[in-house]
Amino acid sequence: MTAPPPVLEAHGLVKEYRRGRVVDGVRLVVREGERVGLLGPNGAGKTTTLLMCLGAVEPDAGSVHVLGHRVPAGRSAAMRGVGFAAGYLPLPDRLRVREYLRLYADLYGLRAPRAAVENALEHFGIGHLASAIGTELSSGQRTLVGIAKASLHTPRLLVLDEPTAALDPDIALRVRTGLLDLCARHGTALLVTSHDMVEVERLCERVVFLAAGRVTADGTPEEVARQYAQQDLEGVFLHLAEERDRERAGRDREGAGAV
Amino acid sequence: MSATEAPDLRELRGPAAASAHRVGAVARRHWLVLRRSPHRIFDVLVWPVVDTLLYGSIGLFAAKAAGGGTGAGGGSAELGTAPTLAVFLLSGTVLWHLVHQTQISLATGFLEETWSRNVIGLLTTPLRGWEYLAGVGLFALVRTALSTLAVASLAFAAYAFDVTTLGLGLIPVAALLLLCGWAVALAVVGLVLRYGSGAEALVWGGLSVVMPLSGVFYPVSTLPAPLRPVAEALPTTHVFAAGRALTGDGPTPWHELAVATLGTAALLVLALFFLGRMLASFRRRGLVTRYS
Repeated sequence: MTAPPPVLEAHGLVKEYRRGRVVDGVRLVVREGERVGLLGPNGAGKTTTLLMCLGAVEPDAGSVHVLGHRVPAGRSAAMRGVGFAAGYLPLPDRLRVREYLRLYADLYGLRAPRAAVENALEHFGIGHLASAIGTELSSGQRTLVGIAKASLHTPRLLVLDEPTAALDPDIALRVRTGLLDLCARHGTALLVTSHDMVEVERLCERVVFLAAGRVTADGTPEEVARQYAQQDLEGVFLHLAEERDRERAGRDREGAGAV
Repeated sequence: MSATEAPDLRELRGPAAASAHRVGAVARRHWLVLRRSPHRIFDVLVWPVVDTLLYGSIGLFAAKAAGGGTGAGGGSAELGTAPTLAVFLLSGTVLWHLVHQTQISLATGFLEETWSRNVIGLLTTPLRGWEYLAGVGLFALVRTALSTLAVASLAFAAYAFDVTTLGLGLIPVAALLLLCGWAVALAVVGLVLRYGSGAEALVWGGLSVVMPLSGVFYPVSTLPAPLRPVAEALPTTHVFAAGRALTGDGPTPWHELAVATLGTAALLVLALFFLGRMLASFRRRGLVTRYS
């Protein structure tokens, strides 16, 4: 059986900041309708990788194609079919939720923005928040509105950075159900980063682990857990975090010795 | 969760219509922010009115002291008379607010995105750079119109200075000042992109350097000699010189307008080039993470 076409293809991504190389040769492919988790401990390079895939940060080396468009050059065309939300981003503080969603519906270029906004409010069960100003919302409500914004145009690729970080279990369940429904009904591919390994196991059919800017594992949650001789993704995560801490301690000792 | 999406909700506009709606959406977003920001009234109305009162009263005082009448409107444009000083000050105030308001409206529009950490959100939509600038520019135009209307109305009501007496020549002068304000704002936005909040002070203070050198209220021949070549190199100097010439009975100052047009075009090209370089640096250095 032929594999579905890729909606995101990143090859050999490299990014170096003053503090060092944060992404080192990452290859990441997400296919149509696929739900992929991009995982790793803090500082592994997840957010930088996502921002390069979205054209917001330019890679030092490597290439990114989103929906057939090379980014960052073809960012505008590519983003017509991409949605992005991050749990850490606030909502603009002087816009009502409905106005905020309407702004993004227009930015995506939707022909029926008003109907799309009403649909999103209903789909994520946040109609009662429509007239609230961004600062009046709880972090969980803001996250829901952010995800509603990202899926207004029923994107072919939905990228979520830490989407459920601030959510109560019941809201997280609503988000997960909504996302699974979106993916199932429209073939939307999902690329999600999260520190909640249980959430990832429920949501994603494939996971890519990053450590020190490199891909260290790529497979189903079960395959990756087996690769590291762990019971689940949380075990893999803890194992990689321990490795990172050991490496850091080793570097610190070397640095102290050199002095 | 309900499942009520209609298939047509996914339909996108054609490229031209989508662009136009994106420009409108950005302008509307900033208009809503202005409406809900009472403190912005100071920038839009209070300071311009204070400036008009200050410079109008200084001009009127000078006119009275020289026995030159009680209003600014009837003054001759001949250099050196007290009514002329009043006219220079008031016309300078009105024209200065065109460039000043345009610049701060556009620049604070961008700052609003950084303050509300909306930069990543915008970068992950199809919004192009020029669409964003056009949207904020459209908003800046409305805001500038409001502010200038307030200044011009006060100048007329309190000092009998009617800005429309400058005639049709006012149209190119106003257009050039708007473009100069845009150019300075683009350069400031570039600096904020590259250097972050450290460059924000330039939004309010950047034009203060240009103001004395541009001869807003006086001919640049009154500046110290070493500064005159610098002043001559600024397009704003020629726009204000043209504006002052309009206050007299002489012919339309075509030469000044031509020099001002060329200078303004060059300034805009430079500002766009600079902004492009700063945006490239912003992407290359991953500076967007400041707003994450």
